[in-house]
Amino acid sequence: MKGKIVSIHSFRGGTGKSNTTANLAAQVAMAGKRVGVVDTDIQSPGIHVLFGLDEDKMGKTLNDFLHDKATIREIGFPIGENASGAAGRAKLAGKNLWLFPSSIRGREISQILKEGIDFNRLNEGLQSTIKEFDLDYLFIDTHPGLNEETLLSIATSDILIIILRPDQQDLQGTSVTVDIARSLDVPNLILMVNKALPKYDFVELRKDIESKFNAPVAGILPLSFDLADNASNDLFSLSTPDHEWSRSLREVAQAVLTLG
Amino acid sequence: MMGQDILEHLKKTSIFSGLTDEALSDVARSASARKVAKGDILMKKGEVGDSLFLIQQGWVKIVTEDSKGDELIINKCGPGETIGEMALLDRSPRSATVIALEDAEVVELKQDVFEKVLNQRPDVSLSIIRSYSDRLRFSTTYIEKAIDWAQKIAEGDYSFIDQTQPVMSNAKSDDDKATQLLSAFFTMVRRVKEREEGLKQQLEKLTFEIDQARRKQEFEEITSTEFYSRLKEQAKALRQKRLNE
Repeated sequence: MKGKIVSIHSFRGGTGKSNTTANLAAQVAMAGKRVGVVDTDIQSPGIHVLFGLDEDKMGKTLNDFLHDKATIREIGFPIGENASGAAGRAKLAGKNLWLFPSSIRGREISQILKEGIDFNRLNEGLQSTIKEFDLDYLFIDTHPGLNEETLLSIATSDILIIILRPDQQDLQGTSVTVDIARSLDVPNLILMVNKALPKYDFVELRKDIESKFNAPVAGILPLSFDLADNASNDLFSLSTPDHEWSRSLREVAQAVLTLG
Repeated sequence: MMGQDILEHLKKTSIFSGLTDEALSDVARSASARKVAKGDILMKKGEVGDSLFLIQQGWVKIVTEDSKGDELIINKCGPGETIGEMALLDRSPRSATVIALEDAEVVELKQDVFEKVLNQRPDVSLSIIRSYSDRLRFSTTYIEKAIDWAQKIAEGDYSFIDQTQPVMSNAKSDDDKATQLLSAFFTMVRRVKEREEGLKQQLEKLTFEIDQARRKQEFEEITSTEFYSRLKEQAKALRQKRLNE
């Protein structure tokens, strides 16, 4: 099986998950790979903003596919052909990167939440996405926490990246997610620490977390005002490649590429 | 006595360093002694300079203005020191103002008088051109090095401090500006390095404890549902299927 499914997960909101997912996907696409990004955070979709896709440009969505109203082919939005509006995104011109957005219409969101997602339908969708777009990597941006949709995406993953902040609550929650991932036989588990205060010793922090979870920490990304200032207007690792956050993010992207 | 003094001082002035005693005597003869009273302005910032001063006695201050217009003393110079030597050749505006701190005696070498010596003595001209050329080469070499070092500092590599220091002793004269710059540069790097090491030691250690009982309880809550059992079966079948593809 060629394409790898990479789920990005965090136990709580606010870890910078969508931002990280978009930047990781962009970096892997910059490395010449064929990449898809699925927004399965159907409750609170948001990753489309980072790729410069607004409501006007958004056509058919994942919701339409799950309701059998659209094919995978129809919902893939080619980022490489629409790379404009911001300096970082412009670098993606001509790259093989597609976004599969979730609907931002309230009615469609509540409908799917009421009905629930069928594992087989979602899984079939992910598999045919990889086949039809001949993808090397399919990134899945999930909803925080361990609800049913999130468990579905963890169950289908080849690689699970758990993003956590270095605080007590995130670590406690991550410990449960790690156990779930092992119970569901996810082949590769990567941890990524985000929003770490620069005053902490990153080397020691990495050792501590790796020994607690017996899983590699692929990167520790600092809390950054520069990144906050970017306010989802662009892909920070492309617009500001020399920043420490961007450098550490590339390490995580490299870890994903190594597993491919 | 004073003539011999002037000769000795001129010898130490870098642009005259290559001259023979005989040629230097000719230069020294075209200089004139001047008395300066406390508070007299020897040169003014921005004015075109046309003379060199050799301080015989007393002290002067070299001043400029800070951003608010207040006087800022850059340096003080005393007996045996030279000020304004570059003006003899390039007629550039003075970079600072010089004021006598007390009654002082200076020897002034005027540019027009000096130029006469140059016209009469090609050997003096040639020697001065050579000394300028030397200085330029020396400065260029160190500017190139400084660029290289600055890049290393930016990358956090300070190893060059230990490797490069002996080169410093090759400096040609005590008052060479390049030497001063390098000395300041090395002091700066050493301090930055020290501060950085100090900061590294101050990094705080962050540790966590995971509540294992809670971890187990939450895991069981999720995995004990019928949904989860079905999902686990489906995931297992899916992985098996993908393995076979």
